[in-house]
Amino acid sequence: MNSKKINKKDLKKLLDTWRRDFNLIVPVLENEVITMDVWDGKDTAFIDWYRNTVVPPKANFLPPGEKMISFEKKKDGIVLEIPRNGQRQIIFGVRPCDARSIAIIDDVFTETYEDTYYLSRRNNTIVIGLSCNSPYDSCFCTSLNINPVESAHVDLLFTDIGDDLLIEEITERGKGLLNMPDTIKKATKADTEKGQALKDSLAAKVTKQVNVKDMEHRLQACFNDREFWEKAAAKCIGCGICTFLCPTCFCFDINDEMLKKQGARYRSWDSCSFKAYTRMPMENPREERWRRVRQKVCHKYQFLPANLGVTACTGCGRCIRLCPVNWDITQVLAGVPQKEAARSAK
Amino acid sequence: MEKELRKQANRLLEEGTVDCIIGHAQGSLKFTTTPLITGDKTEISNLIISPFMHNNLANYLIRRHGKTGIVAKGCDSRSIVSLIQDKQVSRDAVVIIGVPCSGLVDMAKLESLTGKVRDQIEAVTVAGDKVSVKLNGKKKEYPARQVLFDHCLGCEFPTPQEYDCLIGEPVAAINDTELSSKKIADIKKMAPQDRWAFWQKQFSRCIRCYACREVCPACFCERCFAEESQPHWISPVPQWQDNLVFQVIRTIHVAGRCSDCGECERVCPQHIPLRLLSREMYDLIDEMFHYKSGMDKNAPPLMTAYEMVEAEGLIR
Amino acid sequence: MENETEKEPRIVGFLCKWCSYAGADLAGTSRKKYPANVTVVKVPCSGRIDPLFILKGLSLGFDGVLVSGCHPGDCHYQTGNYRARRRMALTKKFLEYMGIPAERVQASWVSASEGNKFAQVIADVVKDVKAIGPNNLFCAEGR
Repeated sequence: MNSKKINKKDLKKLLDTWRRDFNLIVPVLENEVITMDVWDGKDTAFIDWYRNTVVPPKANFLPPGEKMISFEKKKDGIVLEIPRNGQRQIIFGVRPCDARSIAIIDDVFTETYEDTYYLSRRNNTIVIGLSCNSPYDSCFCTSLNINPVESAHVDLLFTDIGDDLLIEEITERGKGLLNMPDTIKKATKADTEKGQALKDSLAAKVTKQVNVKDMEHRLQACFNDREFWEKAAAKCIGCGICTFLCPTCFCFDINDEMLKKQGARYRSWDSCSFKAYTRMPMENPREERWRRVRQKVCHKYQFLPANLGVTACTGCGRCIRLCPVNWDITQVLAGVPQKEAARSAK
Repeated sequence: MEKELRKQANRLLEEGTVDCIIGHAQGSLKFTTTPLITGDKTEISNLIISPFMHNNLANYLIRRHGKTGIVAKGCDSRSIVSLIQDKQVSRDAVVIIGVPCSGLVDMAKLESLTGKVRDQIEAVTVAGDKVSVKLNGKKKEYPARQVLFDHCLGCEFPTPQEYDCLIGEPVAAINDTELSSKKIADIKKMAPQDRWAFWQKQFSRCIRCYACREVCPACFCERCFAEESQPHWISPVPQWQDNLVFQVIRTIHVAGRCSDCGECERVCPQHIPLRLLSREMYDLIDEMFHYKSGMDKNAPPLMTAYEMVEAEGLIR
Repeated sequence: MENETEKEPRIVGFLCKWCSYAGADLAGTSRKKYPANVTVVKVPCSGRIDPLFILKGLSLGFDGVLVSGCHPGDCHYQTGNYRARRRMALTKKFLEYMGIPAERVQASWVSASEGNKFAQVIADVVKDVKAIGPNNLFCAEGR
């Protein structure tokens, strides 16, 4: 893999060229919340304070609410209009955990059905990764085999090695963005060695650990252990924070809104933590909270691994650091008994 | 004080007075606590009293069966009393372990003051009216008033009004409403259109996670108006118009039950300043109807009571 | 002379069945003239009004919302209008704090025999609302 580098002071020049042809989205701090928004062109100070966003990058492809189709009854019939998405954009600063999450959701929205709303945004987006220099104490990516300096699923990977940013070219698309021969230089051996050393030192900074070996089968074995799940769910209050802010959660609701002769069909985030999620006219199969908590954990660590072949958790830790009651999935997983010791209590 | 708390909790479980204790335990992250809900005596040693015990545990009493021993700060006990007034909880079903509270540390404020994020701070200790913070091995002191939550600064009743046993001595209220409600005063200086524009901007960021609603003990409806489809009041799509209607109506619906515990604002992942709504409502009710929530378990709830003559001049 | 292309304000009026609605009827049968800007919604009692209705009315685009019930002491259900009084007072003040002009949210007591008063209330409310212009509070693209 070719490694290049750019001095941090020159990063602005590079972003300026990108900004000409793309909608450039970078980390911003608004209302004391780290989010991603269109770059104002002022500076690249975010390189120093940025850790990770509250709302994950999935929001760029699957927004919290989006219009699918609008309809209006006019004199000579009904007029339908599908919004046009697909402005070319670059997201700069996606952490390795979130990059893996994008790959997981990509699979969901293309596997059995190609979701045009998702894809029109996704196919026009270049994802630029940024290695993680300061993981939170809630991060546990290394337990899911993700390294804070991982380059998978991004078009380019930037790594902070001090005064410079190391750049790894991953895809042709990414390569094509690096057309600045005066500013972007080839990385020296010393630079690449620095990057290599970071792989180990940053992984060590991820202090939260959880053993997820054989988790799929362990969960399967204790699926009917009501006592275990009731205890795990005791303090959960049933809001949607963990699911909405989870980079691999993708459930949505579709609603038609109309007034008189016009309206639109919208898609918006939904959560299996909500009681209404499975409410049906005759019954609600997940009436009790412990069933919903069980569903959430098993979907990530049992069902999706069985269906998609990948654990649908990237250890980003948002669910832990933002949960109103500090419900901690790593504690729940640590409590899941080994397969042999599982009980099937009534 | 923690020893006394654990002793009381243990006693209640041992005697069989309650089948479950609800309190605070050390959280899995620095400077957080987490609710401890247990009927197991061996877990009682995990109960703590801490300047980070922010959760309003009254929330867990809603639709709970059996008899519960519950740890309550001043604001929590008022929420419990509100629930008793609304007949959601029976007084006999709870044993209130009152914990007088000198105020909780707002980590967001500390982060702002120190320029560091929560997990980069080594230690935080509260001693009287000073908060000491350890950063990079060095200690720095801040006056408590700069670091406590706004709602703690404006708290009138830090010692529970209703309790079965009290841990420690009653504490004096800070009751600095001017400092606590400074942001509300700033809003009131704005012209109406500017206020509306401010709220429009704030609620454009709301993602309708409903954390504010779920964490609130005053919101106990089995089915919220936000989830009704017949009639369809607001859409689940998080557009600012519906987000605003949701929050305004929620504030009005919990009027008289809200004890200004500040949880709604603390849990919002988008840092929407919800207390600017709930505290203003709290003050309006005091001003118009001379009512403070959760003070008297035998009093009728605010919205079911009435005076013969009141609210003069507002109705034609 | 009034500008004929000036848009007339639309107001939704929640009238309690036993007093205000009857009062409105009386205004009609007495052939009282009053502005036709109000769309009437009959409710059994002013105590039925949830502040949600008021906000929903405004979000739908009505320029003003009027809630009218029996005079205190005369409620058909004894205490309904007392509850309404508290709720309306609270809602008016709180919405004003939010930035919604006080003129948009109005309340009145009109009894079944007060046809004249009803006509006057409507005239006054329409005048108030007209003076502050159309309701653009909830407008934006996408709605």
